[in-house]
Amino acid sequence: MRKFGILLAAGLVAASVAAQAQDIGIGLDIPLSAPGDAAGGQLIRRGAEIGIDTVNAAGGVLGKKLKLFVTDSQSTPQMGVANYRRLVSEDKVVAVTGMFHSSVAIGINEVAKEMGVPTLAVQASASDITAKHYDIAFRTHAVDPVRVAAWMEFIKKKGFKKVSILAETTDYGIGLTDETIAQNKSGNFGIEIQKITFDNKATDFSAQLLQVKAFKPDLVLNIAVGTPVDLIMDQATTVGLLPATPMLISYDAPTRPQYWQLHAKNGDGIYFIAYYSPKAPLSDIGKTFAATYKEKYKEDPVYGALNGYGAIMIIADGLKAAGSADPKALIKALETGTFKSWPDAPVTFPRADGVYWHNWVPPVLIMQYTKPMQDWKEADVVVAYSKK
Amino acid sequence: MFSTELVIQTAISGVMIGVLYALMALGITFIYSIMRMVNWAMGEFYMVGSYLQYMLVAWALGPELWWLAILISTAGVFVLGLVVQWGLIKPIFKKPPELRDDYATVVTLALLLFLRSIATGLAGPNQFTPGSNLPIVMVGPMPLAGARVAAFLFALAALAIFWAVLRYTWYGLALRAASQSRVGVQTAGIDVLSVDRVAFGIGVALAGLAGALLAPVFLVFPTNGMITTVKGFEIVVIGGLGSIPGALIAGVLLGLMESFGAAFVDSAYQNIYGFILVIVILVLRPTGLFGERGREA
Repeated sequence: MRKFGILLAAGLVAASVAAQAQDIGIGLDIPLSAPGDAAGGQLIRRGAEIGIDTVNAAGGVLGKKLKLFVTDSQSTPQMGVANYRRLVSEDKVVAVTGMFHSSVAIGINEVAKEMGVPTLAVQASASDITAKHYDIAFRTHAVDPVRVAAWMEFIKKKGFKKVSILAETTDYGIGLTDETIAQNKSGNFGIEIQKITFDNKATDFSAQLLQVKAFKPDLVLNIAVGTPVDLIMDQATTVGLLPATPMLISYDAPTRPQYWQLHAKNGDGIYFIAYYSPKAPLSDIGKTFAATYKEKYKEDPVYGALNGYGAIMIIADGLKAAGSADPKALIKALETGTFKSWPDAPVTFPRADGVYWHNWVPPVLIMQYTKPMQDWKEADVVVAYSKK
Repeated sequence: MFSTELVIQTAISGVMIGVLYALMALGITFIYSIMRMVNWAMGEFYMVGSYLQYMLVAWALGPELWWLAILISTAGVFVLGLVVQWGLIKPIFKKPPELRDDYATVVTLALLLFLRSIATGLAGPNQFTPGSNLPIVMVGPMPLAGARVAAFLFALAALAIFWAVLRYTWYGLALRAASQSRVGVQTAGIDVLSVDRVAFGIGVALAGLAGALLAPVFLVFPTNGMITTVKGFEIVVIGGLGSIPGALIAGVLLGLMESFGAAFVDSAYQNIYGFILVIVILVLRPTGLFGERGREA
């Protein structure tokens, strides 16, 4: 009986190893718990999983199935780096995607440039992710200068003169704050800026919001990610900043289905960043994905899910173009190829100057909810900005 | 920037949040004073309280009966505490005393991960809010969310009731006796394991109450108890392990320090000011403001 058990166990291990040998692994490092934006991570995961299923249903890549290895960065660089090392060393992945938080993506890239497995950041915007021109670093997301240029255009259009920035002390928050101050100076906008930073694990923002209120700004820039976005909105309503003073949320969190559950009373009038126009057409594979997603989750996909799906499709096409699962060949294929993703536009990763190195940048929109419980696709597009 | 109004507003904000921090610390310190163990899963009982509050308000009672939901949520966490003590903690106390700390640490850390995973598995990583119909209240020059004022008043009432029960009832006397000498109460014919069960239930119920009270203010999600737990432990160190007045005073001190630091020094370091206070207290008075040096046989 004991011998039979040992044989059975050995057989199972051998079968598992054989199955793994047939698969090509892709790592997905996303925030799935606080202080990370876990809801954002979950959206990317949903998209990536559908991407894997789609590729495998069509026969896989290079005669093998794709397998997704999911890790939780918690938004901390140290966790992200540990996850990357494990994904590469133990799971033998050929690429790591995900990377919602900028600090995590920057940390991972510092290790990835030594280990050689490429990264494809799908929702991290800090300039340093691609501006360092590492061979392994790729991105399909709006970078800081583009996002800031969009809101500077918005500020100018609205005639705002005093702006309060409430930013988390992360690469994301500090990067966007510094870029705003720099563009204000270089573009001679002449805006008076109040800069207040906070720890992204903070829950009580009363002290910061009282300072903002005393400054009497024309606009509050809410540069937080995850729970603090919502806490700042609620507490700003309490101290009397909202709805009188406009607030711009620095990413697309308000497009998520949970937004109106959390902000039924104070969500109207909020400005927010979005990364594609809901009126813009999706590509063929984007439309197929949207239909699959809606059937599976009973809601329309938003940017995070679309980009998570797109990342898998790009990596799969990159592997096909490379004709090999070797990370170096994949890097070469990504640099030189043109890829299909969810937008109805070709995606490329040229060795471009500055922050645009290996970077496909979606358009940046500033939208506004104009009535309670409004579908984000019906929100007003106040500014539509594309990289010049 | 240093206007009188801003100073008063900051002080009010600090006191309000400090009392709520104290509620959490009280649960930690109470369990320790009776059972001589640290419950590392306190934040998860806070989280369970907040989810119960959300479910009761959103699905069963409605926002008008938020106060009833708070009582039921607190009672629910109390019952959960009794079950956890019976199933996981009580067996530890049948082990040799020298190993209790180790077992308690492992068991409560495992419980932390278990409860967090259950919450994520059942409700996902998303945030929820039970909402509140309470209007914004002006406390002096400071506008405050009605839910936050209600939480403050509930917390004060809970602290007063807790103190009165300990001070004026026979069971409170038994609890105080157990905190002084577990052997002593046993020789007086009191079932110390039964006292443990109630103490553990009360301690985690205080965390659950804090979670339910703060659910509309700080939202509901699987790791929402994490920061409050850290604050709770900071307060326990500042006030003195096992000291109930110490928990209240240290809570208010921490709240004030964080608020004034964030408003007038640099808000980026809001969570660090508490640690600075902890270090200062440890240097000047290692047992905390109201703690007493332990006696060992």
